[in-house]
Amino acid sequence: MSSRHRLRSLLTLVQINGIIPIRTQPLYILSLVASPLSFLFFIFIISKGALLAFGVTGGMILTMLSVGTGLQSDLTHYRHDLKFQDVVVASPVEAPIYVAGMALSELVYSLPGLAVFVVIYFLDGLATPLSIVVLTGTLLLVWGFACALGFTLATWFEDVRETFLFSPLISLALTVLPPVYYPLSYLPGWAQTAARFSPTTYAAQLVQGTVGLVPLSFNEAVIDWTVLGAFTVALFVIAAFKARWQEP
Amino acid sequence: MSASSDFAVEVEHLRKVYAKSKDQKPALDDLTLKIPKGRVYGLIGRNGAGKTTFVRIASTQLALTSGRLSVLGLDVKTQTREVRRRIACVPQESRPLYFLNTQEVVYLYLKMRGMEPVEARRRTRDALEELSLTEYRTKLVSRLSGGLRRRALCAMVLASDAEVLFLDEPTTGLDPLARREVWKAVRRTIREHRTIVLTTHYLDEAEALSTRLALIEKGQLRLEGSPEDLRARVRYPYRVTVQSPFPREELESYGRVAPIEGGFLVFAREADAREVARKGLERGLRVSLGPVSLEDIFLEVVGKSIEEDAPAEGLEEASA
Repeated sequence: MSSRHRLRSLLTLVQINGIIPIRTQPLYILSLVASPLSFLFFIFIISKGALLAFGVTGGMILTMLSVGTGLQSDLTHYRHDLKFQDVVVASPVEAPIYVAGMALSELVYSLPGLAVFVVIYFLDGLATPLSIVVLTGTLLLVWGFACALGFTLATWFEDVRETFLFSPLISLALTVLPPVYYPLSYLPGWAQTAARFSPTTYAAQLVQGTVGLVPLSFNEAVIDWTVLGAFTVALFVIAAFKARWQEP
Repeated sequence: MSASSDFAVEVEHLRKVYAKSKDQKPALDDLTLKIPKGRVYGLIGRNGAGKTTFVRIASTQLALTSGRLSVLGLDVKTQTREVRRRIACVPQESRPLYFLNTQEVVYLYLKMRGMEPVEARRRTRDALEELSLTEYRTKLVSRLSGGLRRRALCAMVLASDAEVLFLDEPTTGLDPLARREVWKAVRRTIREHRTIVLTTHYLDEAEALSTRLALIEKGQLRLEGSPEDLRARVRYPYRVTVQSPFPREELESYGRVAPIEGGFLVFAREADAREVARKGLERGLRVSLGPVSLEDIFLEVVGKSIEEDAPAEGLEEASA
């Protein structure tokens, strides 16, 4: 397959799994953005607007993580229920193109929701040139991490119902228990240690620190980038080795 | 096996044991066969015989345990990517993505394979027309009947530029007319010198479409050849049905007898079959006479296999 053909395959997959379903059922967008917006609403009401910035930065991270849970459900459904993956395997489309196409298509879903948070982010005066760069980089890493996690889990799931079981647990483990919506310092010591095992802790620290919500030194920022990057790379490596494009 | 092979698919001593199989019983065992280019090759056998396992290995979805399998001279194990460029598959129990419309199912599949949009559009139009799907082209798959969905999947792969197409029970759930629409499209594909490997439970379909057939039972090749070859290998190539009363003992001297509702079915050689028919008519009984069907052969092989787990009586085994 030439690069042009690969690009065409990739964009077609984005069209198939990202653009057309939204055209067919626009409620998908609302469904995806419902959780982050709900959190934002509660945080805004309870803190009387004081913690809105935490709701915005947390909402962006949660929206990106939803890409991973969506990807995991779609891949499992397409593989087991529709046998779509089998159709793709027996074709010139290569595994990385399929994964990238599916991951990008899930990003398409999340863009309208993300746009809402970006608008509030600008209106709330959080945007600075540095924070825009850090936020974009962090969200891209979270997206990569979420996709790798989604793809890895999808290779183990035998039934789409298993994804319904695990998705809320993954959300809980990655966005509620780790300090995505609040500062790490709010947690007791042992919980702070536990939170260090979640990559979203580092993503949240970076974003919160860059917009001035929590103190963040240069050294801490470097550590956060490194750990978040390492988590993402590690999951991609696991996905690449464990993913079953061809059944054994 | 060279890349300039005369065969679409060549299989040598193929064996597959599923990793998750508790008893490590092979799903395919020492399977050897050659599928010629430019024809429809039918794979028949009962559920669990190994047909789908074979199709999944040949279409690179499933790894083989041992042996060799090549598609168009390309080894599926070492030249997987090259094989995938030249094949297409409708897997068993597959369904098109329900949020696409019928036209998109075909067009986007072709584009996903890397086809130029103009060419993909032309082929989509032709395939929908061929399979009488044009009137449903803008209808969402979720609103189509099961039969129309299967037809959309068939249109998808038949419209492709793949040289070898694997169709795993493509017409399951289709009504007789819809099945014939698929047959028509399959025949057109063959005229383009492409190869179709077809698994089916409809023996009339296998016979109507296939130039050659393989009967797989318990992962092994039991019979292989053209439908005429298979008939020629049967010890009793004719079947006579005779209305009761006709003494069973008398019939048994002519061939193999099986009771059916209201009479007997006798498998016999041509002269004996004619003799039985003549005697039946002399006694004023209703009789019918004809060559054995593929179904008779299938029942003979599979039935014996179930009963004895041994080679079928009355049939010469394939020299695989």
